[in-house]
Amino acid sequence: MRNHQRRGGSWLSRLFPALLAAAVVPGPALAQEKFANVGNLVDYSFGQITNLSADQSIARDVCVYSAKTTPGYNVRASGSGAGGAFTLSATGSTLGYEVQWAPQPGRANGTILYPNAVLSGLVTGATQQNCNNGPTASASLVVMLRATSLQAALSGSYSGTLTIIVGAE
Amino acid sequence: MISGEYMFFTRLARHLPVAMLLATAAAGTAHAATQGNLGTTSTGSVSINATVAGRVQISGLRDVTFTDVDAGVAQLDAQDVCVWSNTAGRKYKITASGSGESGAFTLASGVLTPVNYTVEWNPLFGKLTGAALANGTALAGQTSAATAPTCASGPAKSASLIVKMDTTNLQNMQAGAPYSGTLTLVVAPE
Repeated sequence: MRNHQRRGGSWLSRLFPALLAAAVVPGPALAQEKFANVGNLVDYSFGQITNLSADQSIARDVCVYSAKTTPGYNVRASGSGAGGAFTLSATGSTLGYEVQWAPQPGRANGTILYPNAVLSGLVTGATQQNCNNGPTASASLVVMLRATSLQAALSGSYSGTLTIIVGAE
Repeated sequence: MISGEYMFFTRLARHLPVAMLLATAAAGTAHAATQGNLGTTSTGSVSINATVAGRVQISGLRDVTFTDVDAGVAQLDAQDVCVWSNTAGRKYKITASGSGESGAFTLASGVLTPVNYTVEWNPLFGKLTGAALANGTALAGQTSAATAPTCASGPAKSASLIVKMDTTNLQNMQAGAPYSGTLTLVVAPE
């Protein structure tokens, strides 16, 4: 009798964790559907800017993959300025820049991103997380130096970092 | 011998990553693009670099006219202009030249003998005197308070241009004859 009870208790103690795990932990497919990836990012080097009366911009194709069936994603960006501001810094001066995002590759402009603000409702054409097959790129990231910002900055060499965060949705 | 070589390469393999890391650190702290990883969120980054060239601009100039002047009274025309510089300290230098021979500051009237005028520059606006400019010679070390190329924002003016004619030259002018000339100002970043 004691042995039987011991066996029954053991059976219950095995069943409960299994049920609990099944209830709270999503299956592999469900978990992966939440996954996203951003890649193929390349640095932006404007070189020496001599015409301060014209906007300067560089647009680059990037790869954004979403495992969602839609396949949707959102993106937000932050710069290396105070509070994530989109500013480049040089000795004694800063240079503001603008960031734009287009959910298609090959675009020269897109929707303006604001520091730390999420741009949602985007859909990617990437079918592989690094765009190794299917489309080789799926979005455009544009960095723009406005003439007004160039004229407001002192001469010098500026640098900064732009961080891009994507999430599936 | 063989074991000695083995030990050498083992030590090399052990220390190579450290050496490479140190070499990378010594090469500088320049950021390079980083790629995201597959996850619930994915984060990547890029570096952005730009060099803004030193530039200046002079604007807000108007013509100088002396009309029906009294030859016995020296003439002066002062005007406020905008000079903008984006260099550190907003420094600039200025060079002036006239339309006379070899850039002389002279006014001409056909076959009549040209007459001289003088030019002064003050890096502050609202001034009636300044440093005398010599034809073709840069006046260096000027500082501008302008923060926008044409003074569209910030100070509306940033310097004074003063043109003078003394009584000697006025008295050398033929009455009623129109004299004219061109004064060219060149500013450069400093």
